Amino acid sequence: MHFIFSNEVVLLFDFWSVHSPAGMALSVVVVLLLAVLYESIKVGKAKLLYQAAVSLSIPTSQLTEETDQDSSGSDSPPVSRTRLRWFFCHFGQSLIHVVQVVIGYFMMLAVMSYNTWIFFGVILGSAVGYYLAYPLLSMV
Amino acid sequence: MPRRRAAFRQDELSHGGSAGRGLGSGEGSKREVPVARLDLEESSADSTFPGNLDHSHHKEISHMAHNTTVPSHHHHPTTSASHSHSHGEGMGDMMMNMTFYFGFKNVELLFSGLVINTAGEMAGAFVAVFLLAMFYEGLKIARESLLRKSQVSIRYNSMPVPGPNGTILMETHKTVGQQMLSFPHLLQTVLHIIQVVISYFLMLIFMTYNGYLCIAVAAGAGTGYFLFSWKKAVVVDITEHCH
Repeated sequence: MHFIFSNEVVLLFDFWSVHSPAGMALSVVVVLLLAVLYESIKVGKAKLLYQAAVSLSIPTSQLTEETDQDSSGSDSPPVSRTRLRWFFCHFGQSLIHVVQVVIGYFMMLAVMSYNTWIFFGVILGSAVGYYLAYPLLSMV
Repeated sequence: MPRRRAAFRQDELSHGGSAGRGLGSGEGSKREVPVARLDLEESSADSTFPGNLDHSHHKEISHMAHNTTVPSHHHHPTTSASHSHSHGEGMGDMMMNMTFYFGFKNVELLFSGLVINTAGEMAGAFVAVFLLAMFYEGLKIARESLLRKSQVSIRYNSMPVPGPNGTILMETHKTVGQQMLSFPHLLQTVLHIIQVVISYFLMLIFMTYNGYLCIAVAAGAGTGYFLFSWKKAVVVDITEHCH
């Protein structure tokens, strides 16, 4: 098994079969966008977590504690509403995590096709995605 | 009759070549053709031989010659894997399924003894892979929290930097360190090895291209992240840029 330069490949699904230079160029663009999406999801997840923590206005002293959540002294309505919001926020984060895992595996399988053009597409997409997305991480 | 059989075989060969691999590579489809001819002779000997080229024969040929690159609306199980494995060895990687499929017949899972043949075994494998992915996410979180707890020395380094108005500001950097031969570091290393091995196992499971197993990996990762990151998410240090 080795990398080959070829205009024909079958990528991931049965219907995604390529056998022309135009189709290959289109596939490389799609894979590139997939890699950009993957990098931006990574950054987006971290930013969402930060914004959720800030917007739910959890005091910083509580942030560093890992004590139990079920403290009976804090059952006042605002706190339970906050916890419900946190629950939904965390559930959304988990869904984003699933999407990130699946896209990561799709990119791995795309590289596993051993087609050099697809490999370049993945690498270039990761580079472009990192370049565009990571500066956003330090923006508040 | 023989003439019709020969015509049928020729058409079957061209169709078999195009049905296999979706014109993946020229070499692959050429090599699959003799396989198709062989199976056609076997099947025509015992079964009644219809002269019409209906889709069932197309299905059978491409199914015999190749595991599961038939269009997915047929949902053919890979029961003829013994045939395809015997002539699969000469083709290298071409016989390995390279597209997603849903099936539970003759699915090899990581080790030579683990072969899934029934729906019950597939359900058990689904649960096992799900738990493995959940354990992987939990291991990641556990390593992070262990690392935080074992941060022995926190040193604050202050250094002067030029400020915006020409003034001099003191910038404080926080560095954490860990001793090399301490028990926490050795434990971290062992857990790291386990994490690397499990991540490669999950990658290999996803590489089987089996739809059920891939869904199990994704769902397990999501559930593990949801359950284990619940508390960890609250501990995030806001001043950290990448975590």
